[in-house]
Amino acid sequence: MSSPGPNREATALADEAIRPVGQFRRAAPGLLSLERVEAAVSAVRRSAGSIALWAVLAALLVVPIGAFLVQAVSPRLVGLGGPWFTLDNLAHALSGPTLRGLVDSLAVSSVTAVLCVAIGGSLAWGVHRTDLPGRRVWPVLVWALLLVPTFLTAEGWQYLLQPQGVLAQFGIDASGIYAVFFGPVGVVFVLTMSALPFAYVVVAASLLYLGPEFEEAARVHGAGPWQAIRIVIPILGPGLLSAGAIVFAETMSDFGVASTLAASAHFPVATYELFQAINNNPADFGLAAAVGWLLVASAAIPIAVQARALRGRTYAVASGRTRQATRIRLSPATRLVAFGATATLFSLALGAPLIGAFVASLLSGFGSEISVGAVTLDNYRAVLLGDTGLAQPLVFSTIMATLAAVVTIALGLPVARLLTNRSAGRVAKATDLVLLGSVALPGIVLAAGYIFAYNLPVFGAVGLNLYETAPLLVMGYVATALPGQTRLMVGPFSQLQDSLAHAARVHGSSALATWRRVMIPMLSRVLLWAAMLTFAKTLLELPVSQLLYPPGSPPVSVAINAYVAGYHYDVGTAMTVVALAEEFIVIVGALVLFALLAPRGWRRAIGPGT
Amino acid sequence: MGSAANAGGAGLARAPRVVIQDATKQFGSKVALDGVSVEVTPGSFLVLLGPSGSGKTTLLRGLAGIERLTSGRIAIGDRVMDDGGRTHVAPEHRNLSMVFQDYSLWPHLTAVENVAFALKRLQLPKTEVQPRAQGLLDRVGLGGLGDRYPNQLSGGEQQRVALARALVANTGLLLFDEPLSNLDANLREELRIEISTLAREAGATSVYITHDQGEAFALGDAVGVLQRGRLVQYGTPEDVYYRPVNPFVARFTGLAGELDGEAEPGGAGPEAHAARVRLTSVEGAPVVGAASALGRSGTGRGKVLIRHTAARISAADASGSTIRGRVTDVAFRGRGYDHAIELVGEGRLVGVHDERRWSRGDHVGMSLDGTGCFFFPDDKVADDALT
Repeated sequence: MSSPGPNREATALADEAIRPVGQFRRAAPGLLSLERVEAAVSAVRRSAGSIALWAVLAALLVVPIGAFLVQAVSPRLVGLGGPWFTLDNLAHALSGPTLRGLVDSLAVSSVTAVLCVAIGGSLAWGVHRTDLPGRRVWPVLVWALLLVPTFLTAEGWQYLLQPQGVLAQFGIDASGIYAVFFGPVGVVFVLTMSALPFAYVVVAASLLYLGPEFEEAARVHGAGPWQAIRIVIPILGPGLLSAGAIVFAETMSDFGVASTLAASAHFPVATYELFQAINNNPADFGLAAAVGWLLVASAAIPIAVQARALRGRTYAVASGRTRQATRIRLSPATRLVAFGATATLFSLALGAPLIGAFVASLLSGFGSEISVGAVTLDNYRAVLLGDTGLAQPLVFSTIMATLAAVVTIALGLPVARLLTNRSAGRVAKATDLVLLGSVALPGIVLAAGYIFAYNLPVFGAVGLNLYETAPLLVMGYVATALPGQTRLMVGPFSQLQDSLAHAARVHGSSALATWRRVMIPMLSRVLLWAAMLTFAKTLLELPVSQLLYPPGSPPVSVAINAYVAGYHYDVGTAMTVVALAEEFIVIVGALVLFALLAPRGWRRAIGPGT
Repeated sequence: MGSAANAGGAGLARAPRVVIQDATKQFGSKVALDGVSVEVTPGSFLVLLGPSGSGKTTLLRGLAGIERLTSGRIAIGDRVMDDGGRTHVAPEHRNLSMVFQDYSLWPHLTAVENVAFALKRLQLPKTEVQPRAQGLLDRVGLGGLGDRYPNQLSGGEQQRVALARALVANTGLLLFDEPLSNLDANLREELRIEISTLAREAGATSVYITHDQGEAFALGDAVGVLQRGRLVQYGTPEDVYYRPVNPFVARFTGLAGELDGEAEPGGAGPEAHAARVRLTSVEGAPVVGAASALGRSGTGRGKVLIRHTAARISAADASGSTIRGRVTDVAFRGRGYDHAIELVGEGRLVGVHDERRWSRGDHVGMSLDGTGCFFFPDDKVADDALT
């Protein structure tokens, strides 16, 4: 040893221990060598998961919606007769009542977007940046608002305002308000109240990333608190625009108000025209799909506006470590006014329609023109205990919603994992694209696509007759819920460092056991919330239910609408109240059970919005 | 010699031999690992040293089974674990453990549960799991903190839990992914000693990656230096320190400075490589004695790379001092002082240690010890900028 090091023994040992191995020449592989075949087989085996996932996504989203939309321009391509390419359906859709519906929808959505951004944005500002009283309560109510479907809000207001309505029963003449409400104004009003949460959530998120430095800089250089706000609003521009875009897309695709208030006020909107095209006998799928195209295309409008407004400007404000902004102290008078305004807002958005439905449900013979009823529980007795089969829709919807929640979570987990897997590359991008596209897809287009695609002769030929069955309904619910729920899960998923799963694998846990013992426990709170949301949204879901329910088994939303349409307000309202109560009980019950029963460590898991 | 001498402890693990042959990994068009071959005999401690992007993490992840090789082979014991992606044994079947840079403790499990998790693979009776996990926590000095969740522990404590988790199942192979890089300096030294002792006590084969040469030299029976996906030098720590194969290795393992020089061919015979090197940029063009890397690297104009330990300060007029300079900075380091010295002529040396404090502005003499000076001709220096 010529080493000058002090520890010759260790050196010698290491010399022995580590020997460089000569460079190995790689054998030149033959054109179809065994290695190549093996490599191909192993590549397929490795992507088996992604392939299965894509098969499911294809059955749920890509194939039915694709086939439906394609037949508008090329009925022959999907095995129907007719030309290879035609624009007749689009031309038809851009004329007559469907054109009017589309114009109405665009107008309603634009106004609603502006109103929602103004109101929801102010609310987010008040809750996150001022000492507005009740700022812990309002976000909870925003979530509650998200859970009440639009058709219930619309109907709740109708119970209150209509002639012989709740107000009339108490001797209050609301006919003036009703005349204004029963039409475009009411449609915009109800949609604004319902879509508020979307604007609120988006603006609140951008406020969270907007550190206090811009406000502080403005204040330091002499601006008062209100002037400072005016400085910051343009910086929030991208957030406000995307809030507007989301509200616009939500409103364009709404079916709840379209099929209740708008329909009975003879104010046609696009989604209801699409429904009509399918509901007519014979159904006009070509026209329905053309309207579907236009609805999907309309989502491009706010995106284009956004892109144009932001062109060449950058608003990167998130700096990784953002400090908590200080809250603006409101003067006592301002506090009072702000509190009053917020309380009024939620009374109108949530309180009035729910009270309308609740009071109506307690009045005997409500809605009939002859009697002013006494307070009674008969309606509830009829819904819950009667042998009239009224409880059956509730039971059916509960089962469907439970199944939809379970399947959505089971599918959402691997999809979210795929989307956050940095090495997944193009597959992840394509999946992301499909899901993102489906978020903006109106439920009514999806449901129409299901009817069309799963009636195609191909499926009958292989013995797959899914149309008008409960499984297809569940599939429709899952397809509606999955895109949104995966987006909800992706955030927490990306917070999970890959190394946590790697650590489990390295220390002897199989892939499946790693899911069971590490991933799912760590995500348990997110999964619980996602399941609860899916359950609640599905329980009272309207467009898919309306188009896909098996004959004789109407889901609760369809049943409520049928009773209301048939002037059986008494039972309809009672059923509404019971369904909402069930939503509430299930959510609160699940949260309580989780708190009581989940292992101690699970409660430390990543929660939604952390 | 070999593994037996090294496994000082009870020799619990059946430490495997690790053979990596021509390991190559590409991410798209980027080559992260370019034909690395190395063999680790049972029970020894290999440290892979390299800057970020040198491929050391990729190599370790390939060994763990988290990453698949594009080509090449990895064998642990007598089992081929990866064969250019054709064979790929899942991480859980490789019978190894790993300590991660970010600790990677599962947040929903307590410290003792985290350790016990790694015992599942042994399928022990339930009554044995808890005491054994607790025993390992005791050994890393966390006996009282078993009930804590990771976020209730400090960084050093979390990494100790991670160390206990890696040791508990007595897997034959221990992997360390820069385990000390997130810790404070004093904690780092403490935990380094613990890793060194416990890994050797366990008798396991260890592979440790780091970008810190001090850590590498302190821990490894041998050190492998990675540069741009290639293994450019293997050897003992002393080898790497006293005989760096290229300027990159020399620079990455710490230099006081680089001075211009010119090598003259030596005489014939066994002393042929011990050429003389003249420092051309400093006053008087002194000759450096037998510079370590001479002869390996050729002659002509080039650079002399000087280790901190090779430079000594003396009074300006002391006999034996060959070059002179002026002190521009002095830093108290506890055990003495580090000086920065501007040389008369051109050049600067930093981190020159002495037990006494020389003041800023002092004119001093310096001598260079040839065993810590490496000559590389200009063309080689240019190719090997530190990356």
